[in-house]
Amino acid sequence: MHANNSRLRLHDLQLAQSGRMVVEHLDGRFLDGAITALIGANGAGKSTLIQAIMGELRPMGGKIICDVPKERRAWLPQQLALDLTFPMSVEELIMTGTWPSHGALKGYCAAHYRQGRKIMARLGISHLAHRPLGELSGGQRQRALIGRTLMQGAELLLLDEPFANVDIETVDVLIDVFHDMAKDGATLVVVLHDMEQLSRLADEVLMLAGGHGRWASPKEILGRYAGQPAKAPRLPLTFPDSIHVGSA
Amino acid sequence: MLALLDSWFISPFEYGFMRRALVASLALSLAAPPLGVFLVLRGMSLIGDAMAHAILPGIALGFLLAGFSLPVMSLGGVMFGLLVALLAGSVSQMTGHREDSAMASFFIMSLAAGVMLISLGGSSVDLTHVLFGSILAVNTTALILIVGISSLIVVLIATLFRAMVVECLDPLFLRGQGIRGGVIQGVFLGLVVLNLTAGFQTLGTLMAVGLMMLPATTARFWSKRLEGLIGIAVVWAMLASTGGLLVSYHFNLPSGPSIILLAGVGYLVSALVGRHHSLAAKFRRRVIPLGAEDPH
Repeated sequence: MHANNSRLRLHDLQLAQSGRMVVEHLDGRFLDGAITALIGANGAGKSTLIQAIMGELRPMGGKIICDVPKERRAWLPQQLALDLTFPMSVEELIMTGTWPSHGALKGYCAAHYRQGRKIMARLGISHLAHRPLGELSGGQRQRALIGRTLMQGAELLLLDEPFANVDIETVDVLIDVFHDMAKDGATLVVVLHDMEQLSRLADEVLMLAGGHGRWASPKEILGRYAGQPAKAPRLPLTFPDSIHVGSA
Repeated sequence: MLALLDSWFISPFEYGFMRRALVASLALSLAAPPLGVFLVLRGMSLIGDAMAHAILPGIALGFLLAGFSLPVMSLGGVMFGLLVALLAGSVSQMTGHREDSAMASFFIMSLAAGVMLISLGGSSVDLTHVLFGSILAVNTTALILIVGISSLIVVLIATLFRAMVVECLDPLFLRGQGIRGGVIQGVFLGLVVLNLTAGFQTLGTLMAVGLMMLPATTARFWSKRLEGLIGIAVVWAMLASTGGLLVSYHFNLPSGPSIILLAGVGYLVSALVGRHHSLAAKFRRRVIPLGAEDPH
């Protein structure tokens, strides 16, 4: 983890979704070079918070301060807007990640293709380079999409349940990649539902419940719920009293 | 044999009107199909048709104001097409209705307004001309206009190609980059309107859509790659327009419908025997063996 720098801070944030208040008085900051797990019950406002950080949703009150330039923010929503019938190969998808540095007009050069191939090798999808997107499995598609964020040089990565419908091997590869990105100083926010993944991934935890948020360390969460994951690896849905406000 | 080839394929083009018609339709064949491919990929195949109706009142207004002057009529068409697209977009934004319902309402109103305007100021002959075009009456001014607009469209598509691809593929990614997808969609619709305006002189407002959509839908049966789709669509459009012109010359048929019908025959044949998604492909049992190189 880097020094306690943060390029993404929340100040007294209030969010509403279709006329209903979802999150109230949320304060805190996401540390640079750290992976923050975002947990909570369904409807607790995890996706809403991510939308707001991405600028898709205007806060009702308070503010989000994000110092990461827009073109270095990447968002992998739960509901993809990706058109899978579009005739495009994995390599071409990854190459669209050059957009921020390269804009819409300039062509790709050999260095970009080299970087693209390196990224595909890192993610273990080199053999799929020319496969159309529509023919990929869930795990392969997820790797390709992460490949695009790597190409983008994302410094803020918002992942909404990145491991849903993804095979175990892909989860391993992606967790490795996420740790590397954090090591390089990127800020990662990951919506999670699984204790085991939380223990392997998170440096910090933000829990949302009943419209409020609390910060905690993974140890606190895991310590409190250590007995549970084996059978039902679901995260706590309400606030335990023993967990206090962390780095807020 | 040579004499036969000559009389079929060469001698028709000894006439100036046939040469101009050929150049005009080849230029349109270069500009229209790529737009059609993008329309098909966005699931907006019918928008071209709707747009064709939208430009009619503008053309009619130009006709009323300046008589049969192609530049004025084209300008009117472009202005009105863009205006209607904009109106339809903002009505659906304001009311929250789906955009297609707003477009459907506006476009049919435009058609009625256009027919009304033309019958106020002209005869039914003029109406037929605007609705169905007359490629064989393309004069030099018209030719320059058509070729100029087509070139502009090709250049703009080439410039905006990646933006259009990304906007089609993943609008959320584009929005994440701080670019409103609506801007690119707007430019794209503008290009469609421009192209239809260029095509109305030769094929008529209603059939100009044919050269845009039919090659694009045909190409879907032959390629799974974007470059392939565009390439095949352009080549097919060029073949169909050349062939259609020759057919219309030899059998004394109207040229516009000949071109479009020939393109349509290609579509039907492709639907039967094309490489992908066609009827024949459904019965094909040949597959790539395990471990073989991917042919894509």
